[in-house]
Parts: sequence; structure tokens; C-alpha cells
Amino acid sequence: MTRLTQIPGLPPLVAAAGLLAAWELAARVFDISGLPPAHAALRELPVILTDKESLLNILDSIRRMVVGFAFALVFAIPVGLMMGRSRLTAAFFNPLLMIIYPVPKAALMPIIMLWLGVGDASKTLVIFLGVSLPVIYHAYQGARAVEEKMLWSAAAMGMDARARLTRIVFPAALPEIMVGVRTGLVLALITMVTSEMIARKQGVGDILFNALAMAQYETVYATIVIIGLLGFVIDVGFERLRAHLVAWAEPAHEIAAVGST
Amino acid sequence: MISIERLSKAFDTARGTSHLALSDISLDVAGGEFVSILGPSGCGKSTLLYIVGGFVPPSSGAVRVQGAAVTGPGPDRGPVFQEFALFPWKTVLGNVMYGLLEQGAPKKIAEDRARALIEMVHLKGYENFYPKELSGGMKQRVAIARTLAYGPSILLMDEPFGALDAHTRTGMQHELLEIWERDRKTVLFVTHSVEEAVFLSDRVVVLTRSPGRIKEISRIDLPRPRRRAELLVDRRYQDYVVAIEKLMDDPAEVRA
Ligand SMILES: Nc1ncnc2c1ncn2[C@@H]1O[C@H](COP(=O)(O)OP(=O)(O)O)[C@@H](O)[C@H]1O
Ligand SMILES: [Mg+2]
Repeated sequence: MTRLTQIPGLPPLVAAAGLLAAWELAARVFDISGLPPAHAALRELPVILTDKESLLNILDSIRRMVVGFAFALVFAIPVGLMMGRSRLTAAFFNPLLMIIYPVPKAALMPIIMLWLGVGDASKTLVIFLGVSLPVIYHAYQGARAVEEKMLWSAAAMGMDARARLTRIVFPAALPEIMVGVRTGLVLALITMVTSEMIARKQGVGDILFNALAMAQYETVYATIVIIGLLGFVIDVGFERLRAHLVAWAEPAHEIAAVGST
Repeated sequence: MISIERLSKAFDTARGTSHLALSDISLDVAGGEFVSILGPSGCGKSTLLYIVGGFVPPSSGAVRVQGAAVTGPGPDRGPVFQEFALFPWKTVLGNVMYGLLEQGAPKKIAEDRARALIEMVHLKGYENFYPKELSGGMKQRVAIARTLAYGPSILLMDEPFGALDAHTRTGMQHELLEIWERDRKTVLFVTHSVEEAVFLSDRVVVLTRSPGRIKEISRIDLPRPRRRAELLVDRRYQDYVVAIEKLMDDPAEVRA
């Protein structure tokens, strides 16, 4: 049994096949229009993926996700690291974060739309917020845990506080930051779809909810499959990158992608 | 070289009171001298070393190095910690080169010097290993090479061999003495092992139980270079160890 699980890619394939089979079976047994059989939904995949308009919508979503995600990293990592090394910064940001963390970021969408409209800006901002929080939190924890003697060793070499933050604290905290970034990626995907669900104009979410409104359930499920695949590809890609970037770290970070939206 | 003048250190405790860790320490260390600081756990040995390193400020008193008051860390005083404190994302070579590059040495020169030091601490062939791939003794060798690399005139060593097994430990003591014989840096060496202190040092400073005060300073008049196998059967070595050990668990010592 352990042999089989060691074949790369096999367990997820088996899981996916099992899920499809269960779906197909359930659709046949219950026979409701809201649950088309798997094969019918999968037939829609090539249709969506070859339709120019749909593709543009999907790319549009991905672009917003990338922009929101990138801004979030640029903002959240320095903030988290500074919080971890300066009591004053932590005292300032901690209460703010405690208030914002449990709020579903999509719930802020209507307010943000009042300020920024229904276009890119609102959606990108929501993605930015969703990603920032877990990244700040993990960068903060990572920076706090940096061994003091490591910083002293660097100080003795003549590094000032700023250089230590960017060139000692940051790499030392990187394994922990990566845990936050992975959670952030999942949240980016979730907030991307939910933001489009609330501010309907373009994007994957728009395809999804248009199809839903028009009772095109095959398209609805096919879109969900596309979003799921997108998440899977992103996660696998990120895991590769992470393994490469922090190969030097002690294997202490078993990571789980969990978080609030 | 190092002059410690009436140094005291009090820490604020979580209960809001103040805890005196070091009291009125005065000590002069000559250039090229090997001085060990010995005392029971918690007596303030590390604190004393950290203050000399400039990592921790004193509550009162001062430390001067070559006449200049210590106000912070500097490359003239190189620390070696019990925890190694290597940069885990850097290879052995990267760690040893780090301080040199920081001091502005050209890459080629830094690398040559780092490779020579790595060879000196018997780690040739491990240049591209990461710290997590090394044993404790190897990590400490890297840490020593990393500190030697940027050429501090003073080494501050805080129980550097404390985390190593007995066999590795005596090996490392020999290696340290060999390195020290070459350029006779000034060394402040914290330990709680009497034998280690006697074996290595020109002078042994014994601190009292908390708060740490200087109880006695013993000069160790044993010829150098020293070999452990010879010293163990040397009467004078044994006498030093016995005398200092007696000093350490002197029941007459009561707290104020
Ligand atoms: N940062 C600190 N804050 C509060 N108390 C400290 C701190 N560092 C050391 N101490 C206290 O000072 C005393 C001396 O500690 P230390 O120098 O580590 O002793 P040693 O190295 O001799 O074992 C101990 O009682 C310790 O609890
Ligand atoms: Mg100590």
C-alpha cells in the first residue's frame, strides 16, 4: 500500500476519479436538474476553454488575483517582519489585525464598492486584504522566532538594524512566511471568485453566476471544476517553489492550507 | 586590551522587581591573554560576556576595549555562542564568507580566506553543505571559522563546547588551542567546566553564585603548547583543578 502512495501523482488522480464517480452516481440516483452528471459537466470544459470571451474572463480574474496577491506580499511581509522585531510596531498593528482578521473580506465588498466602484480596484483590494492578513501573521510569528544570537552574530559583523531586518530576519523567517503565503494563495482564489460574485461585470465568477441565473447547470459545474483545477495547479506550483526556496530549512514546517475568507 | 570597570547588571523581572545578575565586576584582560570565566549556572557568566560584546548594556560601570568605551557590537569582538547561531540559509562557505563580505572584502579574497579557514577547522569538502546537514561539532567549527574570518582581535566564547559530547568536546578544545597558538587573540571564554578552564586558560576567573561577583582569579602556570594527555598526569594540573573545584563548592559562601 505504501508503495502505491509513493508513485507521484497517483493518489490525487485516484481521489479525483473517485470524486467524479461519486458525482456521476449521485446525479443518476437523484436525477435533479441542479446536479447534472459529471460527464455532462466535463463536456462543457472544452467549450468554455475554447470560447474567446470566457477565456478573456478567466484571464481577467487571474490578472486581478496576481496583482492583488503581489501587492499584498510587498505590503504584508515588511509589516509582519517589523512587527516581529519591534514592540512598538506590534502594539500598533496587533489590535487592527485582530479586528480585521475574522471579518470575511467579501463582506467588506459592498462598502468598498461604494468607494471604488464595481471595477478592478474594488476586487483587487479585497484580494489584497484577504492575502495580507495570513501573510502578516506568519511573517510576524517567523520574525519573532528568529534566534537572538543569530542577530547578534550579524551585528558583530557590522550589520545595522535595517540590514539585519532585510538580510537576516527575512531569510530566517522565510519558511514561516511561506506557510502564510500558501494560505494567502488559497484565499486569493476564494476572494477572487467571491468578489466577482458580488460585483458582477467580468471574470470567472461572472461566468459562474450568469450560467446559474440561466439554469445552465453543466456550465456552472464546469466552471467550478476550472476554478478547482486552477487552485490545484497554483498550489502544486507554489509547493515546488517553496521546496526550492527553503530547502535549507529543518523540516519543521508541515503546512496546511487553512484560513478564513 | 579589555578593561571591565565596576560593572553591574540588574534585570527587570516579570514581577516588576529588579534582579541583580552581576555585581561590581572589575577585570583587566591583556592582549593575547586567554581568560576563562567560571561559575555555577545562573551566576551571570553569559551576561558578562554579552556586555563585553556590546549586545547587552550594563546597568552601571563600563567596558573599554583598547581605551574606547564599548557602546555596541563591533567586528573587533567576535562572538561564538553555545547555540552556534549559524545562518541556516547559507552554506558552510557562505556562512564563513559572510562577515568578510560585510566588511567590504572583494568576493574573491573573501572566498579564498574562507576556504583556508574551513580547511583549518578540518571541514574541507563540506563547503557546500547547509548547517542542517552537519553534526554539532561541525556546526561549532563553522561558527568559529565564521567569526575568525573577519579578524576580530578579541574572541568572546560562551560555553562554545557546552552542547557537544565529551569526546568531541576535548577534540575541539585542542583545536581551539592550536588556532589560538597561531595568532594569540585575546579570548574571554565562559564555561562551567573546571577542567576545560584550567586546560585552556592563562587565568581563570571564578564568579560567586548569583549575583555574580569575582570570587577569585587563579593564574594557571602550565607550559604551552598543552596536551591533554600529558596534563592529565601532571601534578600541577591536578592541583589547579582540585583547588578551583574546592573554590566552586565552598560551603562558606552564603548569599547576602
Ligand atoms: N534577558 C534577561 N532578562 C531577565 N533576566 C535575565 C536575562 N538574562 C539573564 N537573566 C538572569 O540573569 C542571571 C544570569 O544569567 P546568565 O548570565 O545567563 O547566567 P550564566 O550564563 O552564568 O548561566 C540569571 O539569574 C538569569 O535568570
Ligand atoms: Mg550562560
